[in-house]
Amino acid sequence: MFDRKYVVFVVALVAWAAVFYFMDKSIMQAQGLPVGADMMPK
Amino acid sequence: MKTSHIIAFAAASAAVLLPELAAASGDVVAAVDEAIAGAPELARSAYPSIAGISARTLAWSMAQMHLFLAAFVLAVPLFAIATEFMSVITKDDRFDNMAREFMKITMAAYSLTALVGGGLLLSLLVFYPHLMGYLISVFRGQMLIYAALFGLESITLYVYFYSWDALRRGNRKYYHMSIGLLLNTVGLTLMFVANAWASFMMSPAGIDPDGAITGTVWEATRNPLWNPLNLHRFLANIAYGGAIVGGYAAYMFLAEKDPVKKAHYDWMGYTSNFIAIVGFIPLPFAGYWLMAEIYAYSQQMGITAMGGILAWLFIIQAVLIGTIMLAANYYLWSGLMRTDRGAQYTKYVKYIAVVIVGGFLVWVTPHTLILTTAEIQNLGGTHHKILGPLGIMPAKNTAVNLMLVFTFLSFQMFYRSSRVPTVSWAKSGNMVIVALYVIGIANIIGAGIYGYITPTVYKVGASVPQVVSTLMIILGSVFIDVFMLRGAKSEKIHWGRMTERSQYALFVLPVAFTWLMGLMGYIRSSLRTNWHVYTVMKDNSPENYIPTLGDAGNTITGITLAFMAIMVFVFWLSRLGVTKQKGTNTDTGATS
Repeated sequence: MFDRKYVVFVVALVAWAAVFYFMDKSIMQAQGLPVGADMMPK
Repeated sequence: MKTSHIIAFAAASAAVLLPELAAASGDVVAAVDEAIAGAPELARSAYPSIAGISARTLAWSMAQMHLFLAAFVLAVPLFAIATEFMSVITKDDRFDNMAREFMKITMAAYSLTALVGGGLLLSLLVFYPHLMGYLISVFRGQMLIYAALFGLESITLYVYFYSWDALRRGNRKYYHMSIGLLLNTVGLTLMFVANAWASFMMSPAGIDPDGAITGTVWEATRNPLWNPLNLHRFLANIAYGGAIVGGYAAYMFLAEKDPVKKAHYDWMGYTSNFIAIVGFIPLPFAGYWLMAEIYAYSQQMGITAMGGILAWLFIIQAVLIGTIMLAANYYLWSGLMRTDRGAQYTKYVKYIAVVIVGGFLVWVTPHTLILTTAEIQNLGGTHHKILGPLGIMPAKNTAVNLMLVFTFLSFQMFYRSSRVPTVSWAKSGNMVIVALYVIGIANIIGAGIYGYITPTVYKVGASVPQVVSTLMIILGSVFIDVFMLRGAKSEKIHWGRMTERSQYALFVLPVAFTWLMGLMGYIRSSLRTNWHVYTVMKDNSPENYIPTLGDAGNTITGITLAFMAIMVFVFWLSRLGVTKQKGTNTDTGATS
């Protein structure tokens, strides 16, 4: 079986990814920059 | 007594020594009275010409030298008191001795700071009397407050240093630290006041478009660029002070033969390098804020800085910052040999080196190349098709953030090399930290790539999550480490077990910092172009143009070399103070 530390690593990766995603989103929105695909240059 | 009379007195005092200056003292008095109605409009003849001296180069050199010395003597007491506080918390006298030694170097430099400051004042009064008159009319009594603060700074500095042994134990220690706190409060206030004058010249406030005073001194002080400049200089001073005392520690390490003293200076060098890095890590973000505020205040001024001829200096800035990063990291990697467990981390050094050097190369890549016509034709333009994208800000922001993250990693490796965690969840804790690094770095790179595919406003906006990611990695790792290393098994650190080669990295830091500060000072001042006070008071002197990069480079290098010579003298003086002639009775001698 996997060492428990790898399970912790995967869980931590997911958790940190969520933290950074919401952080990015809130920072961009706080600057008045909507987050979404429509901001890409046409 | 009117302010103008005091200035006239100062100028007249100078005239006793140099009769040619007598006319200038009269100009200052007249300028103060005229300036109330608006900024003076000067003819070229209003600028004194004395013995063929280049007024701008003289004032520039004096101002820059004063700033170098002042930055140093203001910063060192800040971390001296922090180190002294550490001695109280840890009850370890080594911290106390080191704090006192920090202050000893400051004392040797303090009188030189005042001397050069006096030289700066005189050169401004003599060569730019109308400008000084106008600034005095705007800031009025604040200039006297500055003089009073300077007196208070001198008193508190001397009392703080000379009472060290008299107020060393028990409650007296708190009296001593209170004096130190007062010293730092006065020192910082001095800096903030001086910053108000410099930033007013860039972004004037409290006056109408003709320069007539409409607001209070506080309104002129709190101009748009004041606080960004305050923060930037505060952090830069910490980093600079740390770098210089690191240079002192390296000098002493190389000079000492006694292993105990060598160990002491090795520890001092490590602590100084740590202080320099702590001040340096948030510095690019403070610089970014300052530049954003410059753009917000005047887009023209921002473009002069980042889009015109001065933009090339940011490439030189990148070279110098890259040098600082490489030197600081090299020193940290060398430090791994101080511990027996350090060797297990050396295998990671090469990967960190790749990131630091890679980031350095990205940072020095210019957006537009200087090319001959034939080269432009061969390339199909001034942008290189592969390297060109590395010239814009998303790439450079990504590079600098990664360099900072990996510099912190170098420090963390050294810190970990002397501590073995004993908590049961140590492996899991390490995994959480590794995951934080992985996701944080991915976020920095992702935000950088995002900058390429979005309009400019998003490019600028995406730099903020990059900064926050860097800070999150650093603070998150420290937070987890604090709990994970509680009760950790400490490994012996063999202070003094360092190569002599590594000490030269500590010499590189103050030289690169000094050069960098001179360079950035030239940029900041040049942003005013041909204005004494931007858009309000025109500079009509014969030298009212931005100096060429070559001329500026020579002047800045000259000032840097002069400052380094002064520092070597200060280090030598500090060492001389503890050197005793053989056979001398040591009972009456002061110790370091």
